[in-house]
Amino acid sequence: MNHKELIAAMAAKMNAPKSVIEDLLEKTVSTCNELLVEGKSIGFQSFGNFEVRKKDERLSVHPATQIRTLVPPKLVVNFKQSNILKDKLKELPHNE
Amino acid sequence: MSKEKLSSQEIIDIVATKASVSKRASEEFLKVMISTIEEALLAGDTVKIKNFGTFKLHWNEPRKSVNVQTGETIILSGYYKVNFTPDANLRDLVNEPFGHLEAVQLEGETIEQPVQKEVEPIDPLRTLNEQASEIKDILAEIMNFQPNRQKSEIKDETEVALPEEVLENNEDEIPHQEHEKTIQISDNKIDEVFINVKEEPIVEEVQLIEAVIDNEVEAEIPETIESDFEPEIKDEETFSPVFVPKKKKSKVWIWILVGILIVAGVSSVGLYYLYPPAKDKITVFKKAFFKNTREQLLNFSDWLNSKPQKKEIPVTIVIPKDTTAVDSISEEEEVLPVDSLQVLFDNPRNYSEIIATETIHSGSRLTVMAKKYYGLKDFWVYIYEANREKINDPDKIPSGTIIYIPKLDSRLIDKNNQRCIDKAKELRDLYVKKVLKND
Repeated sequence: MNHKELIAAMAAKMNAPKSVIEDLLEKTVSTCNELLVEGKSIGFQSFGNFEVRKKDERLSVHPATQIRTLVPPKLVVNFKQSNILKDKLKELPHNE
Repeated sequence: MSKEKLSSQEIIDIVATKASVSKRASEEFLKVMISTIEEALLAGDTVKIKNFGTFKLHWNEPRKSVNVQTGETIILSGYYKVNFTPDANLRDLVNEPFGHLEAVQLEGETIEQPVQKEVEPIDPLRTLNEQASEIKDILAEIMNFQPNRQKSEIKDETEVALPEEVLENNEDEIPHQEHEKTIQISDNKIDEVFINVKEEPIVEEVQLIEAVIDNEVEAEIPETIESDFEPEIKDEETFSPVFVPKKKKSKVWIWILVGILIVAGVSSVGLYYLYPPAKDKITVFKKAFFKNTREQLLNFSDWLNSKPQKKEIPVTIVIPKDTTAVDSISEEEEVLPVDSLQVLFDNPRNYSEIIATETIHSGSRLTVMAKKYYGLKDFWVYIYEANREKINDPDKIPSGTIIYIPKLDSRLIDKNNQRCIDKAKELRDLYVKKVLKND
């Protein structure tokens, strides 16, 4: 499901024009992005938490060439599903 | 990172003020958003949100673990996890504090690597060394052993022979020979005599014998020396060429770098004095220089050539401005009608007016009706929309159902407009999916 399909599905659910939904979604996303850039974490109840984590610098060794590289530290966005969502997912049958 | 955590309520408030909608609407929207994403994920789909990221389900395989208290092995059942991959845009924004850092290849490691390689070729050398020292020990043992035996012989012989051969020799000479334990290379009595002669020229009369023996001794000594010391010499030879060239190489590089820097400094200073007013040009030129000296040189010559054309540059800048302005105007002109159509698409359709009614019998299709009334079969979705209460599944309509054919805006069912067809197809996808879900 891509961005367009998500908007279409939401518009159908809320019985609202797609342009409005698109606008709202964009605002929500930009709000979340701004907050994450500030380093704050966001918790959506029943869905999960978004937070920024710091990954420390590390030494990585190329297994074939043995060249060691110093990978700099970085900040990454991490999503952790809530327990409610996890329980829902548990009931999902696994089919390979 | 600050530990501050915002709840969904705060997000709702912020979005409400941003989009200037009521909090209730914002809340409703967020709820729907999350539930929609959740539903899609539970259906095994991935959800991609522009500028935000992608949600994906990831299956964690069941794995074995140990109960810490009882020590029993237990199997943790596999489970799905929601993976969120931030959009490249968001990822870069969040990582801005460290964005300027880049992975560095460590210089030391390139040296360490060859060192590791060297260790392997050294090993056989070491074994050679060990073997050599072993051989040395054995030889020394043999030597130590032989002189003892020989000396006892010598004692006998010298007592007997010396007086015979060298009558004028002092009796002191024989004890001397016995004291000297450094004498190692000696196969017969004459050798010992020779060495004595060499180290302590007491016995002058033996010079004749020495001259005779010289050939024999020389032939023997080099052999033993070679077998003892050659491996060591070899080691030195092999070690030194491995390390020396590296130092030379690094020095060469340093010299090259220094040379480049000097050239850069001289040329930039020269430029500055030659063309003091063109400061901007020089800074640009400098930047270009540090990127690539060769490019810089080219730039330099280009710049010299292009200097008289300086006045033309603003002109070329102006031209794109004009074109962009023209483009934006034409785009605006195009956009306007499109928007009205978009509004038409987005707003829920009103099916109050009815042009005709049709009764379903076996073999009748919504698509056929759409073709009949609207001119294109793709527009059947609107008929379905108008009669949604009566139709559960657009593919299986019970016969006898009365279908109302609604009057539609002519712009909506323009069969020559690709957008109308796309819209109809989009709606069809939506309805077909919904029906499948209900099943």
